[in-house]
Amino acid sequence: MALVEAVDLRKTYMLGKVPVEAVRGVSMKVESGDFVSILGPSGSGKSTMLNLIGALDKPTSGKLLIDGVDISKLNDNQLTDLRRRIGFVFQFFNLIPRLTARDNVELPMAIADVNRAQRRKRAIELLENVGLKDRVNHKPAELSGGQQQRVAIARALANNPKFLLLDEPTGNIDSKTAGEVMGLLKKLNVENGVTIIMVTHDQQLAREANRTLQMFDGKFITETVNPK
Amino acid sequence: MKTYDIFGYSLSAIRLRKLRAALTTLGVIIGIAAIVALLSITQGLQVSITNDLNRGLSSNTLIVVSGSNALGPAGGSGVGGGPGGRGRAGFGLGGAGATSGFALYVNYTSKIDALSPDIASSLAVIEQSGYINADGLNSSVTIYGVNFNQYSQLYPTTFVAASGTILSNPADNDIIVGTRVNDPSENGTLLFSAGNNVGIVWTNATTLPVVNATYTAKVSAVLQKIGGFGLAGPSDTGVYMPLSQAESFFGTSQCQMILVQLKNSNNSTITDVSKAITNYFGGQVTVISSSAVMSLLSTIFGTIQLFLGGIAAISLLVAGIGIMNIMIVSLIERTREIGILKALGMKSRTVLSIFLGESAIIGLIGALAGILSGWVLANIVARLLASGAFGGTGFKVTPLLTPEVFLGALAFGIVISIIFAMYPAWRASKLKPVDALRYE
Repeated sequence: MALVEAVDLRKTYMLGKVPVEAVRGVSMKVESGDFVSILGPSGSGKSTMLNLIGALDKPTSGKLLIDGVDISKLNDNQLTDLRRRIGFVFQFFNLIPRLTARDNVELPMAIADVNRAQRRKRAIELLENVGLKDRVNHKPAELSGGQQQRVAIARALANNPKFLLLDEPTGNIDSKTAGEVMGLLKKLNVENGVTIIMVTHDQQLAREANRTLQMFDGKFITETVNPK
Repeated sequence: MKTYDIFGYSLSAIRLRKLRAALTTLGVIIGIAAIVALLSITQGLQVSITNDLNRGLSSNTLIVVSGSNALGPAGGSGVGGGPGGRGRAGFGLGGAGATSGFALYVNYTSKIDALSPDIASSLAVIEQSGYINADGLNSSVTIYGVNFNQYSQLYPTTFVAASGTILSNPADNDIIVGTRVNDPSENGTLLFSAGNNVGIVWTNATTLPVVNATYTAKVSAVLQKIGGFGLAGPSDTGVYMPLSQAESFFGTSQCQMILVQLKNSNNSTITDVSKAITNYFGGQVTVISSSAVMSLLSTIFGTIQLFLGGIAAISLLVAGIGIMNIMIVSLIERTREIGILKALGMKSRTVLSIFLGESAIIGLIGALAGILSGWVLANIVARLLASGAFGGTGFKVTPLLTPEVFLGALAFGIVISIIFAMYPAWRASKLKPVDALRYE
């Protein structure tokens, strides 16, 4: 069974009074342990894809199975539960500014009712893994962009997600730091077997994945297997 | 999410905007403080008035006055067991409520005594306004004609001499005075002392032309300080003369009240005797018992408290609107944060709890600080009242903070805060994660 499977997936939303078909019949499969990038220019529907795969939004028609569950049949509460098993990494990091790096990493675990001692231990381990051992008690404003994104990756990994869902993960950091972040992601994929789905408009970045799905006008137009 | 985690998260949001939270809390503090101050002052007042009454009107004593509706809003002239006096508004217990022409007479006591075996004794009280003249200075006083023996038995704790003696067999010209009659400023400057002679003056307005009746009396005793409001029983501003002397001085045997001492203070005894006396006089008298007065008082105070508390509660409503306002601002500022929380798997009801938690914390802190400030305020007001800053010579009130008021104010502060946060919290919980994350 594929970890993520889309069959003729469609999403139409209303922009004011005008219906916009953002995703128009997409089918795809992501197996466990894979590293897939979805590449497309702005307006191609890749953000909508990201919202659907991330269970933030429901499809208009078609099927989207995440870990075997069709999300179009889930209510809000069940979607919320499902999101606890998905690790989000956003372009703008989206850390909670008033919380320290450790508290930010602890947050998804607190939401999932993990007890305090356990989640504290895990948060520190995760921050060590992303190379932020000495930044545990720093707030986001006291961290560089790359460091913030690494905190966000540690947070995404907190609840042992089925897969990581990345939205332009290096869009707001300099190229050197971006390289480091990509290195970390590849390491997680290769060494720890973490499944990664990444949405980007950056071709070079997209090639870092095992395969790239090129999106245009709400459809996948090509699929490329990238050389290792 | 566990409750303590929810509260921890709410608290971190409050700490981020300390000044804003402090100002919001201030609204709650003011509202709660106003409620607590007003209620603890009025409750303290109720207690001191009740104590006063208990001292002047013990539970086994009945007061019989003429008139069928003496204990009511149209209570009449306010001749109680000892109100009135110098510069004081009399809060009368009795008085001639109805002008039926019916009057009580001194010799009715023997008739009352015969009405029930539960009656120990009864005692007539003649009461008139007059003057006492010492060193050529007239001071206005209330003059009572009573049997000294019976009166001191009825009021063993208050009709007690501080100087001189209360004679059991007084001469006609012996009088006993309250402490403020010979020491009106209450500073030790005595107008006269026990053993001195003073003039008693009464203006007889029943004849035309009016005439002043006078005689020279000998002060045989000055009473101990009684204090309080002088609602019933002996008063600091009273002048007491033997009943027979009062009858001849005022030229009448008509009395203003008859005090009836019962052998016990059972409710059934009070009811039965009251009924017997009322029936005997054909409904033309009112029998006042301490329990009836107490229940009237608590009704009056209940109304006052409701009224004052209601006014104070309005300020809490204003505070509630402040909370709502600030929560809506906070909701807008934190739209993106709510999106993140939902993306991380936070349920809508947890988002709701976080927002309600924030305002509950504000309500809790505000209520506690408000209770404390209200209590301090009540004590300041009590001191000002005692010092006479609000006129008169001042009276002592000890503010009373009952557990009911404490817990009520606490609960009210928290509940108001939560109620007004409900709408913003509900809106926050209903935000769609996709929209919230897109919010700039």
